Parts: sequence; C-alpha cells; structure tokens
Amino acid sequence: MTRIVNEPIDALVVYRRGAPHPLLHAFRWRDERYKVSETFFVHRERNGENTYLCYSVGSGRGRYELRLDTGLGRWMLEAVDAARC
Amino acid sequence: MARIIFHLDMDAYFASIEQQADPKLRGKPIGVTGRPTEQSIVVAFSREAKRFDVWTGMPVWEARKVCRSLIFVPGHPERYVETTKRFLGILKRYTSKIEVFSTDEVFMDLTAEVERYGDPITLARRIKARFREELGPCITSTIGIASSKTFAKLIAKRHKPDGIGILFDHEMLLLLKTTPVSEVCGIGPRIEKHLHRMGVRNLADLGEMPIDLLKREFGVYGLFLKGIGLGIDSSPVVPYSEVPAPKSVGHSRSLPPHLRTYSLALHVLRDLCDKVGRRMRKLGYVGRTVHCGFRLGPTGPHFGRQTTLDTPTDDDERIYRACLDILSAIPQRPKIVNNVSVSVTQLVPYRESPISLFDNDQRKEKLNRAVDHIRDQYGDKSIRVGTSLLYQAIPRHVSGFVLDQMTGEDVRGGNSGEDADPI
Repeated sequence: MTRIVNEPIDALVVYRRGAPHPLLHAFRWRDERYKVSETFFVHRERNGENTYLCYSVGSGRGRYELRLDTGLGRWMLEAVDAARC
Repeated sequence: MARIIFHLDMDAYFASIEQQADPKLRGKPIGVTGRPTEQSIVVAFSREAKRFDVWTGMPVWEARKVCRSLIFVPGHPERYVETTKRFLGILKRYTSKIEVFSTDEVFMDLTAEVERYGDPITLARRIKARFREELGPCITSTIGIASSKTFAKLIAKRHKPDGIGILFDHEMLLLLKTTPVSEVCGIGPRIEKHLHRMGVRNLADLGEMPIDLLKREFGVYGLFLKGIGLGIDSSPVVPYSEVPAPKSVGHSRSLPPHLRTYSLALHVLRDLCDKVGRRMRKLGYVGRTVHCGFRLGPTGPHFGRQTTLDTPTDDDERIYRACLDILSAIPQRPKIVNNVSVSVTQLVPYRESPISLFDNDQRKEKLNRAVDHIRDQYGDKSIRVGTSLLYQAIPRHVSGFVLDQMTGEDVRGGNSGEDADPI
C-alpha cells in the first residue's frame, strides 16, 4: 500500500561522471537513515522552468518515491510503500 | 542483404516501465489505465496479462471480467517520455539513421554500421544488453531485421517478446507464400476485405496481381501493395531530425460526463484553441484554415466544418472565433456533446507570413508571446484564459485527469498530430 508523505529529507548522493542523474546512496527521514539498496527507476518531470528528478528506490523491504528539485537542490520524500514484494 | 534495417519494438511498453519502477508489480498481470474507474480503458497490458483474452483499449470493467487478478495501475506519461528519450539516446550511439515510428517503436538503417560489430544478430544482442543495463531488466524489446522496413516490422512481430528475428533474402519467397495480407503493417481490415474480394489471401497472391488492377482499386497505394507482394519496399528510414514540416496542428478531447453540455463544451473548446495557438507559436507556424468538430452524443453524428481566414494566424482567440462561426451553422443547438476537436491547416512558417499593420493585431501578438514566456517559465497552468476557470478541467476521479497533467515534451519534436483522447 503506497502512503503519501511529502516531507523534506536529507539525501546522500554521488555525482558520477557520465551518469544521467545523481546516484542516490542514502537518505535521512524522521531521524532515521535509510540505505538505498536498489534504484528501480528515475525520470524527469518539468513544470515551467523547474525540473525535478523522481526516484523510485528500494531500502530494506520498503519502496520509496523521492523527488529532487534540481533548481533548489531540495529533496522530498513523496511516498512510501512499506512492503514492496 | 542490400540494406540492413532494424525494427525495434519495446515489449508491453507502458506496463513494463511500471513494473520496472515498482517491483511489487513484477510477474503479475497489470493493466495501465488513466484512473482505474469503470469508464476508463486499459492502454497497455503486461506480458502476464496478455495470456488472457485482453486487447489494448479494452474498458476497465471488461478487463476485470476477463482477468480477475488484474492489477490496474494509473499511467505515468513522464516515465514513458523519459524512457523513450533514454532508449533513443542508446540507439544514437550506433547510428544516426533512426526513424521514430511511435513512442515505443523505431526503425534503424544499420547497413553501413553492422560490419563493425560482426553481423546483425551480434549487434542486435549488443543493443538489447545495453537496454537491460541502462533501462532495467523489466524493460525489454524485440528486434526484427530485414532488408526493408515493412518486413523488419513483420519479423519483429513474430518474435515477440524479448526476441531477435532476421529475414534472409533466400527466405523471402516462402514468407510471401505463407503470410496473410492482414499481417502487414499498412493493410487494415478494410483493405484486407477488399483484397479478399479480389481473391488475394497471402502476399504471394498480391505479388501476382496485375499492377494496373491494383492501381485502379487502390490508387497510388496499389504500387506499395504490389511491391510488398514481390517482397520489395524501398521506403527509406527517415531520421527523426529530418521529419517533414507539420501539415496541421490540432487537439481533441473526449468529454467526461459532467462537461457534456453545449455551453461547457464551448469552454473546453476555448482551452483547446489556446493549446493549438501555443503549439503553433512554439513550432513557428501560422495557419489559415480552421476545422472544428463536435461529436453529438455517445454514438451520435459528428458535426465538423472548416473555414478559411483572410490571413494566417496563430492567435488562439481568432481560432476560437472561427470555431464559433463554424458552430453557428449547426441547425439545432445540441444537448449532449461527447467530443470536441479543433485543428488548423494550410500552415506556413511564421517568418514567411505578412506582418499586420494594425496596432490591435500587433498588441495581441505581443500579449501571446508574453503569455508563452510566462508559461515557459512557470508551467502551462500558471496563466490561463478566464473561461477555463468556469469549469473544473477534469476532476480527480475521472481517468483523463492523469494525462491532462502531462507536461512532457513530444519526443518527435511535437510537430504533428492530434491529441490522444484522454484514457
């Protein structure tokens, strides 16, 4: 069951040369650290001049949807799917 | 082979992207919809769902009946646009001769490049391996290889899903004798019926038909049919960077139940004119002929007319006024309107059109450019025509809402075609 969250988070990313988007390694949400075990899908969304990168990632047994505002460099946790498999 | 043409077709495209993005959906029968409401339709089924008797465009209620375990997933157009851009990016590493046939299908002319990789099959395997690595394991494709576009597509269709098929020249004769005409892209049910009446069942029969007879029955298209019957299709791969200039710019919309009155349909029409004008300005075209159409009732008649303006325009207000003139010719004001459409043809590049000497026109043009600039910067919904606030565009429970929110760019450069009906 996907739960909408929409809360700002801190993220640890690596900008690798040649990669189409920053690689998300871990994020901190509600004082808890989540290590990203797999990135399932990343896509770009636009609204006017604003560009967002939307991540669907796995950590533990959960799936998380995150959004990076590329202009402001702000990360949001948009949704959580507690049991992903 | 004289030419080496690849036809690459993504398998269960939208559904496999959803499965890639959400592992919970993998290995399960899923159907991609606008919103999983009963009025909606399914635009794509996963491989697992295709084992049941389902077809693209099937209403949700019917799909639910055929496959009880089917999971309905709302579509994410941005994901599909992004994936198309990414797979085109991968293909560009191999050749620049790529023709985008649809959002999930391309043709490639690899005649000059294939030698570098050994043989066509090795190259096809390499491309599929790159896809797996960069797009994910769920997003698979099928590649058909032949000396022409039509036969490459035919071969790909026969090797779905996740396959590679090749048609060698010496196999052509057998293929022609054993392939029903309906299997070829470009021969739809109507042409098939016509050919059956002429005694043509397979491609070899088609090849034996006198060319004069085919020309008389099908016009210029008869030449194409004759060629296919002989295993010949010399149509070139047209790179998507060289796509010809648009012939029309249009939008249409199937109306949700709460907008089916005439007066609300006019507000939708105003919005569509707004979209058409914006797209024309973006493409740099102005047009003279405005076509407006209303479908009256769910299975009712279609009312459509066109009018030609004195001077070409890209102004949405002028396009709307022209539509109102057209609609004033409807003998009786309709009670129910199911579909609205507007398009502008007779396009000429903006820079080749005459500049209006009237102050009002120049002011309007400046205003349109300013509005476009605001939308480019802050999004399409940032500034809107007042009448569009008189109705709620599409409420969240209605399936079309999702695609209505789509802001992605057209991967082909957005230079042609009508809007798809909301799903």
